[in-house]
Amino acid sequence: MPVVAFDVKDFEERGYPAKRLQELLPSLGMEAEIAESGEIKIETMPNRPDLLDFIGIIRALDHFTGKRSPRENFYKIEKEPVLVIDVDPSVKKIRPYIAGIVAENVDFSGNLLKYAINFTNKFTETYGRKRRKLALGIHNLDRIKGNITYAAAEEGKMTPLDESGEVSFSDVLKKNEKGIEYGGMYSSQKKPKLPFIKDGEKVLAVIPIVQCEQTRAKEDTKNIFIDITGTSEVAVENAANLIAAALIYSGATIYPVTVNYRKSAVQTPEFKEKQMKMSLRRAEFTLGVALGRHNVVGLANKMGYTAAKYGNSIVFFVPPYRLDVISERDLIEDVAIAFGYDNITPLPVTGVADGLAQDTAEQENRLATSMVGLGYTEAINSILTNEITNFENVQHKYKEGEYVQIADAKTEQTTMVRTDIVPCLMQNLSISTNEKMPQRLFEIGRVFSLDGSTIRESSKLAFVAEHSRANFSEIRSSVEAMLKLSRIDDYKIEATNDASYIEGRCAKVVSNGSTLGIFGEIHPKVLSRFGLEEPVVAAELVIIKEIRYEV
Amino acid sequence: MHEYEIKLLNGLKEKKGQSIGQLEKSIGLSQDSILWAAENLSKSGAVVVERGAVRSVSVTKEGEGYLKQFPEEGVVRLLEKSGGREKIAGIKDKIGVIWAKKNGWISIDNGLASLTQSGREAAKEGQYELREAFNWIYSDQPKMNEKAASMKGVVDILAKRNLIEVDEKNVILAISITKEGLAMLSGAKAEKGVDALTRDIIKSGIWERQGFKPYNINAPGETVYPARMHPFREFSNFLRQKWLEMGFIEVSGPIVETAFWNFDALFSPQDHPTREMQDTFFLSNPESLTIEDLETLQKVRKMHIKGWKEQWNEEIASEAVLRTHTTSVSARYMRKLATTLNANYPLKLFSIGSVFRNENLDYKHLAELHQLDGIIVGDNLTLANLIDTLRKFFSKLGMDNIKIHPQYFPFTEPSLEGLYYDEEHGDYIELFGGGIIRKEITKAMGTDKTVLAWGIGVDRFLLNRNILGVDSLPAIFKNNVGWLRSRENLKV
Repeated sequence: MPVVAFDVKDFEERGYPAKRLQELLPSLGMEAEIAESGEIKIETMPNRPDLLDFIGIIRALDHFTGKRSPRENFYKIEKEPVLVIDVDPSVKKIRPYIAGIVAENVDFSGNLLKYAINFTNKFTETYGRKRRKLALGIHNLDRIKGNITYAAAEEGKMTPLDESGEVSFSDVLKKNEKGIEYGGMYSSQKKPKLPFIKDGEKVLAVIPIVQCEQTRAKEDTKNIFIDITGTSEVAVENAANLIAAALIYSGATIYPVTVNYRKSAVQTPEFKEKQMKMSLRRAEFTLGVALGRHNVVGLANKMGYTAAKYGNSIVFFVPPYRLDVISERDLIEDVAIAFGYDNITPLPVTGVADGLAQDTAEQENRLATSMVGLGYTEAINSILTNEITNFENVQHKYKEGEYVQIADAKTEQTTMVRTDIVPCLMQNLSISTNEKMPQRLFEIGRVFSLDGSTIRESSKLAFVAEHSRANFSEIRSSVEAMLKLSRIDDYKIEATNDASYIEGRCAKVVSNGSTLGIFGEIHPKVLSRFGLEEPVVAAELVIIKEIRYEV
Repeated sequence: MHEYEIKLLNGLKEKKGQSIGQLEKSIGLSQDSILWAAENLSKSGAVVVERGAVRSVSVTKEGEGYLKQFPEEGVVRLLEKSGGREKIAGIKDKIGVIWAKKNGWISIDNGLASLTQSGREAAKEGQYELREAFNWIYSDQPKMNEKAASMKGVVDILAKRNLIEVDEKNVILAISITKEGLAMLSGAKAEKGVDALTRDIIKSGIWERQGFKPYNINAPGETVYPARMHPFREFSNFLRQKWLEMGFIEVSGPIVETAFWNFDALFSPQDHPTREMQDTFFLSNPESLTIEDLETLQKVRKMHIKGWKEQWNEEIASEAVLRTHTTSVSARYMRKLATTLNANYPLKLFSIGSVFRNENLDYKHLAELHQLDGIIVGDNLTLANLIDTLRKFFSKLGMDNIKIHPQYFPFTEPSLEGLYYDEEHGDYIELFGGGIIRKEITKAMGTDKTVLAWGIGVDRFLLNRNILGVDSLPAIFKNNVGWLRSRENLKV
């Protein structure tokens, strides 16, 4: 979930002291953490990019508390476009869409500019998928000369933000901090064409990497131009609407920008009226709340909608910043939030049902009880392991394609899924050498093997005993006891070889022609790999050879 | 006094300050028995136990390659051969260069390494204090302890270079008898009567004449540990029991899963950040798995294209992953119920199992976690029903004051989150997430029923509620034998 940080003072100034925030934000699905420094970190829901912004959160609070009610036709754009963007065909295959916003009388004083930049970064990181799908830049409108062109080229020159002189596009990619961070998306080409915007005299931004120093917005900047570019037309449109709406709420005036594509021209941003109907009956059946007795229009207002009752339905007017509202369910959820989840009276599910435990779980519990009876303590290890522990330390050879491998683990400890349990238990003994002997451990768990591209999941029981007199006959007795308890009478114990065990002191259990397991005295070479100084005997038995799920 | 105690005191009478090893030989008791007797006797002041730290040193695998020659020696020899000078870039062994410089054997100027006077000597003499000490440690390992302490400087350097491993243990160095001990010993001899009861003594009736020697019933017994199940099994069984009591059926599903059932079937967009490597374990072998249910595949494709207005790629859905939540099991069962005739609705299911997060592992984080998922499938099910079910479950665990807040999950709407107030931390802590499964999903799974769903992070719950008296998850799954045997019982 995205987290955004603010100064709690800015909320206080607008009538929301810390205590009130901690009460209000969770009711709206946000979590707040306030540090002693006065910094408030707010975790927002990923489907609500409008709440990544300070203005957006204030707006949600204003509506929710009734401090400011939503009004009809509040979100308006001036009629006459004041700026033109010409789109060059060269961007078509790279990043085809652009929208522009011109806003006058913007307030960037105090922390507001910082918040706007933080929003830009968070928004393009999450909703913009690390700027691939969507990116935006805020410019000082008064520093832009003439019309804007959106094009792509292999080379060019610009003065990146925080730098003093002109540099080439390829140096932006290679040397600029943002170029290194975001240039990766072009690295597949040897000489990539970079999208950029320019006005009559200079390049304003290399997209989606860095904008120019000359048009940097400052705390006293009043008039701004925002460029929004991306690979998805809907995402670019949505972002323009969301940002324009926030600017309007904070008191700015928005002018449209004309975007000339080769064959068509559009104006951005463009607020389309969005009306949606919610059936009262369906809302009641979804929530289990008798809404008829409540002021549903009032609940809609608390969530920022203007609304009207229409027969047995409520018509909602969806404000332009609510990108997430697409179905009736979204409206029902918002009504529930306004109503308060804690105000919903719980209703029992009707109908009789019998509980039923799963056979495999019960079988494992019975085996575990028996193992405890034999003096073994249970271990539970992760199925994630590595080749050294799982194979090399127990002197087993391995081949790619016979076990399940992890693609890109963060640590070398987790590069594969285990094929056996005994190595895990040996690992457990190796960290317990200071503990009192005898030590006896067992584990019941899953192991995985691979045959071509078919994965086999098995359930196994493994146990180990370490102490000065541990020997073959001890482990044989325990193995046979477990076989008897599992009602396996028809089995043979045959000599076998396994590099983990001492030759001549290793046996397998065979029943009806299939091998049920292996046991014996662990080889001293294996013991020393695990740093063990006492004899260890071990067994690994199959409980279910191949687990097949019902689904 | 116990037989072992008398034996130990007798053994100590002969000689002052004996080590455990010496005593083992002289009095014929095992190490454990001596330790136990010494512990008892030291409590009553009969013996004095002298403890101290002992360092033991062993050569690492890397170190084995250093026995003949240290890299810095190699560097000066190389320089000697090439006339005392060499370009740094031409010397492969960078570690050798660093140490040769540190030792003052070479000087580096303008990318050129030159032998110094002491470097020339080092190259000729072939005597290198570090290597000699190291060889001696290698050959003399078992007897290392005391001498190693005197060579601290060298040992520290070698350990820093990862050539040896130093292990420090607090052990008993010597045991001596006190005046009280001697007095006790002479008193003990005076005691008469039958000591250990044997078959012969019982049969012969000799105890009737001699009576029994009284034992010191205040002497502490040896600590014994019962074998036990892993606390996680106990906790998991406890939770299972509660859902079974509430009429839920237990189910399970694959751990190695297709991205399809783990993500796509649950409406998670294919370009969503959680699907990236950093959070999910994707497999390299096998890279992909077959999606067998072609009908659901087509429906899920439609759901994605319509809902997210993006292309949907079957290959991405076929990628093999370790499941990131047990909600994949819930998805599979929604589908299964849709194809089951005469199901008796409402149906209540739960599953508990391992889930995986590709995280950096440390004292707080594990890659394998556990989740409990539940669904109720039926007609006319409401958010109020879901809230009731979860409140009931947690009140069975003694948690009556749960807060329920809105939340967002890609597969439910409305969605909710349950929290409880943790008095120790003075904060609300998350317990579960849930909601009503989106209509888009139930439709793609082929059912017209309503599905209530939720998931509970079992490990966090176990830790946060202080059920085991442990505040770190890795401690629970490290499986140290001592901890497993002596841990607290569950507080539930």
